[in-house]
Amino acid sequence: MNKIPILLQQLHESETHLAKEFRRVATREAVEQDVYYLGHRMATMCDTHAEKLRAAGERYEADLDPPEDSSAIGKLLGSLRHTASEMVGRRPDTGLLLLRDLRELYLMAQEANIHWIALGQVAQAVRDPDLLGLVSELHTETITQIKWLKTKIREATPQILVVPV
Amino acid sequence: MTAPTSQADDRIIDVWGPRTPHGPDEPWPDRRDQYLTVDETAVERWVQSACVMCSNGCGLDIAVADGEIVGVRGRTEDRINHGRLGPKGLFSWQANNSPDRLRNPLLRVDGELRPTDWDTAMSTIVAHARLVIDEYGPSATGFYTSGQLFAEEYYTQALAARGGIGTNHLDGNTRLCTATSEWALVESFGSDGDPGSYGDLDCCDTLFLVGHNMAETQTVLWARVLDRLHGPDRPRLVVVDPRTTPTARAADCHVALRPGTNVPFLNGVLHEFIAHGHVDRAFIDDHTVGYEALAKVVESYPPERVSELCGISADTVRRAAEILGTGDRLVSTVLQGVYQSHQATAAAVQVNNVNLLRGMIGEPGCTVFQMNGQPTAENTREAGADGSLPGYRNWQNDSHVRDLAELWNVDVLQIPHWGPPTHAMQMFRYIENGSIRFFWITGTNPAVSLPELARIRSVVGDDRLFLVVSDAYLSETAALADVVLPAALWSEKTGTFTNADRTVHLSEQAVEPPGEARSDLHAFIDFARRLNLVDRDGAPLVPWSEPEEAFAALTRMTKGRPLDQSALTYEALRGGSGIQWPVTETSLGGTERLYADHHFPTEADVCESYGHDLSTGALSEADEYRAHDPQGRAMLKAAEWEPLHEPVDDDHRFQLTTGRNVYQFHTRTKTGRAPQLHEAAPEVWAELCAQDATDLDVTDGDRVEISSPRGSVVAKVAIGDTRPGVVFLPFHYGYWDHDDGVPTAANELTRTDWDPVSKQPVFKVTKVAITKVTDRAAQRRDRAGTGAS
Repeated sequence: MNKIPILLQQLHESETHLAKEFRRVATREAVEQDVYYLGHRMATMCDTHAEKLRAAGERYEADLDPPEDSSAIGKLLGSLRHTASEMVGRRPDTGLLLLRDLRELYLMAQEANIHWIALGQVAQAVRDPDLLGLVSELHTETITQIKWLKTKIREATPQILVVPV
Repeated sequence: MTAPTSQADDRIIDVWGPRTPHGPDEPWPDRRDQYLTVDETAVERWVQSACVMCSNGCGLDIAVADGEIVGVRGRTEDRINHGRLGPKGLFSWQANNSPDRLRNPLLRVDGELRPTDWDTAMSTIVAHARLVIDEYGPSATGFYTSGQLFAEEYYTQALAARGGIGTNHLDGNTRLCTATSEWALVESFGSDGDPGSYGDLDCCDTLFLVGHNMAETQTVLWARVLDRLHGPDRPRLVVVDPRTTPTARAADCHVALRPGTNVPFLNGVLHEFIAHGHVDRAFIDDHTVGYEALAKVVESYPPERVSELCGISADTVRRAAEILGTGDRLVSTVLQGVYQSHQATAAAVQVNNVNLLRGMIGEPGCTVFQMNGQPTAENTREAGADGSLPGYRNWQNDSHVRDLAELWNVDVLQIPHWGPPTHAMQMFRYIENGSIRFFWITGTNPAVSLPELARIRSVVGDDRLFLVVSDAYLSETAALADVVLPAALWSEKTGTFTNADRTVHLSEQAVEPPGEARSDLHAFIDFARRLNLVDRDGAPLVPWSEPEEAFAALTRMTKGRPLDQSALTYEALRGGSGIQWPVTETSLGGTERLYADHHFPTEADVCESYGHDLSTGALSEADEYRAHDPQGRAMLKAAEWEPLHEPVDDDHRFQLTTGRNVYQFHTRTKTGRAPQLHEAAPEVWAELCAQDATDLDVTDGDRVEISSPRGSVVAKVAIGDTRPGVVFLPFHYGYWDHDDGVPTAANELTRTDWDPVSKQPVFKVTKVAITKVTDRAAQRRDRAGTGAS
C-alpha cells in the first residue's frame, strides 16, 4: 500500500489549521482593514482547499475529517476579538502582535506550500491527471497567500520596529 | 473667422452650452465662453491659465482689473476646450475673492487658533518637525497633499519628504480619486500615463463610458461628446452606471448594473468578444501576453451568469458586447464608478482589456482613458508625491532608485524604498496608533472627504499628533490643526499642471495673494531651508526659489522615462495651446498618442512596477517579473468576481453610492463660495427611485435619515431614476457653512476599506437603512444635537 494518504492528511491538516489561523488573526487584527478583509478571504480559500482535498482523498482511501464546526462559539470569539481589536487599536504595542501573527501565518503557509509541492510530485508519479490539475490550481493560491503575507510583512516591519512609540 | 461667444448667464441651467455639431474627422468647432463681473472694457489685462475645477484642464484667460480677478474666458486656441468653459470654470474663481480667505497663519494657543505671523508659524512647525525626527525618526513624519497644487509644488514636496527628511509617508488625496487610474495603467501597460488624446473623441465610432458620469464630472468633455452625438455619423454609446445620469440618458445602451458588479459585467463583455470572434488575434499575438489565462477566466461569465450577478438582462450584456465588438474605432473611459468600488483595479484593468482584445489603442479614435478626478492629480503621480517614486520610477528597481539619488545628490539609502510609498489610509492608521506624530496636510480636507468621518475626526484630533494644515480657508480639517498656513490659490501663483490626456498647461500668477498667504511652493522651500535639508555635499537640497527653476528640475527628472518632458519650458507653454508630453528634443510640439507603435513600457528595466496580484495586492518580485519579461507587450490580466465586503442585510436594505454634482467640487471650499454654484446646489439631497420612495412613504423634499453601522446623514429626498435599492448622496456637504448639528457629510456613513492594489477607498458600496424623518423626530434631534461638527 502506498503512503499517499499520509501526505494528503498532512496537507489537509495544514490547510485546516491555516484557515483557522487566518480567521483568528483577521478578527484579532480587525483594526487593520486589509488584514481583516483579506485574512477572511484567505481563510475561505483554505476552506475550499481542504474541501477539495477531502474529495480527492476518497480515491486514495485517505480518511480526512472535516474540521469541527464550531461556528457558534467561533463567531462569539470572533466578535469578542473584533471588539478587543478596536479597543486596543490605538495602543502602540499592537504592532508587535501584528508582526508575530503575520510571521506565524507565513510559516504555516510555507508548510502547506511544501506539501503541495510534494503532492504535485506524487500526482505525476501515479499518473493522476485529475490530482495534478487540482494541485496546479490550488497550489497557485497558496503561493499568492505567501506573496501577500510577504508583502504585508515587508511594509509593516520598518514602521513597527524602527519608530519608537 | 471669430468664434461665436456664448453668454455664461444661463450656464447653470444649460450646463453644456449651445451645440456645435460635427462629423467624424472634422475639427471640433470653437466656441468662446466667458464670464465677467465688470464691463469688458474695464478689464486691464488677461493672464493665461487653465481651469482647476476638474481633470479636464480647459485653457482659459483670467481677467484682471484693479488687482483683482474680475472674470475668465475660454481660450479658443487651446486643444482641450477650443474656448469652452463649464459652470465651475466660469464661476468658481469668485471664491478667491471671498471675505473669509485666510490672511494670516494661525497658531493653537490654549486650545484656540489665534492669528500669528509667518515667521512664528513656520518656526513652530520646523521646531516640532525637528523634535519628532530627532526623537522618533523620519518615519514618524507624514505628508498628505492634494490634487489641486501645481507640479512644481508636488515635486518640491517629494524631494523634501523622500530625499530630505527620508520618510516614506507622502501621499495625495489623489488616492481617493485617481489611484486606480494610475495602477490600472501600470498593471496593463507597465507604466502610468494615459495613452490617448481628447482628439480621439472627435473621430471614434464607439464610446464606452464605465462608471463615468462625464456629463457632470467633465462638462466640457461631455460637450465635446454631445457635438459628436448631435452630428452626422454619431458614435454609438454604451454607459455603465447604476444611476440614470444625464450621461446614461444619451446612451444607445445603458447598463444599469447592481453596484459592485463591474468585474462580472466586464468579464461578460470579454466572454462575448471571444465567443463571437470580436477579437484581433494578430494584435493579441504580437502585442500582448496573458491571453490564455484571461480567456480561461472569462469563459465562466456567459451572459446568463452575468445577468444574475449584475441584476441586468442577459440581452443587455449581449447588446453592449455587440456594440463594443463591432465598431472600428473604440474609445473607452473609466472613472469613479469603477475606481471607488470594490475590485477597483481589477475592473479598470478589464476595461483596458476591452481595448486590447479589440486591438484598438494608439491609433486615432482608438484608446482607453483611465480618467482623473482632480485637475492636477496627474502631477502628484508624475512628481512622486503619491504612491510612487518621481518620474514613474519603480521602488523595487535598485537602478531606478540610484538614478533618483544621483539626481538629488543624496545617498541611495536616504530615499525610503523598502516598501511602496505609504498610502493615505495607512498613514491615518499610523497616526491612530501613535506612530506618525508630525503630519502636514496641504490643500485637502480629510475631515469631510475620507471614509468613516467619526474615526477620521478622532484620529486627526489625537493629542499625540502635531497637525499642520495649509489651506486658503478655515476648512473642517484646518479647524483641527495646531498650525494653519494661509495658502495662495490658483491665479495667485505660477505653476504647471497636466490633464488626463497628458496636456501640460502653464498657469500664470494674475493677482497677489491676500495678506500673508503664500504659495505652497514657497512654504515648502521655506520649510526645507529652515529644517536644514541638505544634499550629500551640504548644499541646500531644494536649490530653487521660484516655480520656473522647480519646473526645469522636474523636467530634467523625467528625462529618459516614459513621461519625458525634458524639452518642455515655460516659454513653450506661453501663448497658444497646452502641450502633450512626451516633449523631447525630437518631439518639441508634444506627442498626441502613446503606444502608436504598439510597444508598451513593460520591459523589466523600464516598467514602473513588477505588478500585483489583482485580487490580494500581493507584490511580484523582480526575479519573477524578469522570468516572464513581457518585453514591450501589454499585459492582459484577469480577475474573478468577488462578493461585496458589506452586502445589504435586513437592517440595511439599501446600497449607498456617493458621487459628485455638476455644480460642486470636493468639499465645496471653492464652489460653495461662488454664488451661482452655491445657489444651484446649496444642500445635500438623497436620490431615490420612485418605487423606493413610495415604499418609504416619502416624496420630493421630505427629510430622510440614512444610517449605516458607522453614522447617519439627514438629507432631503429627490426622486430620481436610480436603480431600485440604490440611494445616491453627493459627498460635498460638510459643516463649514452650517453649525446646526445636522449630519450632512456622506462620509459619516462610508467604511474604512480599500482596493488591494490601488489602495483607493471604497466609497461606492455601503449598506444603509433609510427612515423618514418626521417633524417630531427632527425636533428631538435638533434639541439633542448630533455632535457632527
